[in-house]
Amino acid sequence: MTVEPFVFFGGKGGVGKTTVSCAYAVQSARDGHRTLVVSTDPAHSVTDVFDQRFDDDATPVEGVENLEAMQIDPDEEVTRHLDEIRQDLSEQVSAAMVNEVNRQLEMAHDTPGAYESALFDRFIEVMRSADPYDRVVFDTSPTGSTLRLLGLPDLLEGWIDRLMYKRRTSIDLFEKAAIGNNEPRRVMDGDPVLARLQERKEFFEFAGSTLREEAAFFLVLNPDELSLNETERAIESMHESGLSVRGLVANRLTPSPDDDENGRGARYLRERVATENERLRRVREEFETPLVAEIETKTSEIKGDLLVEVAEALDVGTAVAGDHVT
Amino acid sequence: MTLADRIESFRLTLEEWLRGLYHGMITHPAYEKIEKEAEDEEDAFILACFPDAFGIPSPVSYYTAELLPYLEDEFEAWERRLWDRDSYVERKGQQYHF
Repeated sequence: MTVEPFVFFGGKGGVGKTTVSCAYAVQSARDGHRTLVVSTDPAHSVTDVFDQRFDDDATPVEGVENLEAMQIDPDEEVTRHLDEIRQDLSEQVSAAMVNEVNRQLEMAHDTPGAYESALFDRFIEVMRSADPYDRVVFDTSPTGSTLRLLGLPDLLEGWIDRLMYKRRTSIDLFEKAAIGNNEPRRVMDGDPVLARLQERKEFFEFAGSTLREEAAFFLVLNPDELSLNETERAIESMHESGLSVRGLVANRLTPSPDDDENGRGARYLRERVATENERLRRVREEFETPLVAEIETKTSEIKGDLLVEVAEALDVGTAVAGDHVT
Repeated sequence: MTLADRIESFRLTLEEWLRGLYHGMITHPAYEKIEKEAEDEEDAFILACFPDAFGIPSPVSYYTAELLPYLEDEFEAWERRLWDRDSYVERKGQQYHF
């Protein structure tokens, strides 16, 4: 099975996205593909899995050839974006207006979407400069809206289009209103606002086409009702945004006891396994998306050798499809 | 002053007045109207960029914030017009200078 160069793992918080992403990245690297794993989850991250500190520059993972990791902090990204604009602001705007504009600026960065937008931006940036890698694995943040945001480039692009249209109309009118030798209040040529909007439009265009054509999405789930329902909804909403989910990964399955065991613990486990199997059957029969991996629960944090074990349980190919980043 | 001179000066004054009247009654209101329309379009643009200012959440405000440093004049004018504006009729009727 070939898989696109960009692979996303999504799912609710706590289902084991980071573990599965890292396991897949390790597998991909062991198969000889230069791989980068990008984590965004501040709670449980690549740092814990590989026992090594990472920041937002890609750093080689010790002990695994061909593998690099990167840790993105969404809060930091929002602050960075804010600071960049502030910098522009102090260069462009008169002191009297700075306060006024600053208020607007802070408001925009306090909206609930800012966090997701910052992550999205960073993801696309990583995808744009993914040339040194054959594959990039994204461990999306637990808020879940990141995956939804990935379906938004078309909408955002349309929005930017409308803004550009409005801006052009008003500049055009201003130019027409300047009689004789009067200087028009706004000039179309070299308008910095239009230039910036155009830049953004191209960014969203790139994001939209790359996500549709060169990215594969996997959802991680646990064998419980809540997780199953969430996953069903996620598949639906991604489908609506034109992104297809390539596979589901069931994580934290209860291991069954040996046949000759009959104690209280063994009976409990057997019962649990039966219910979980029932749920997995539902996934296989009712969900359109195939279940590509079943991973048993582990008693300790998944690191080192355990990670390799999990990687082997993942029946997801690593061969790179398409030749975008080869 | 000869008669010819008086006619000449009368003609000049008349011409100036006519030009003034033409400018005041025809040209200027027409351009003013266009400029007003341009301002209205610009207001619509700013509103579409920053609907959060009115408590309307927008998925693009994070991105449009990048435009703020370049929209100083627009932003100031927008705020001023917001304060001044009475009704739609008042705004559209301003050109008649009642």
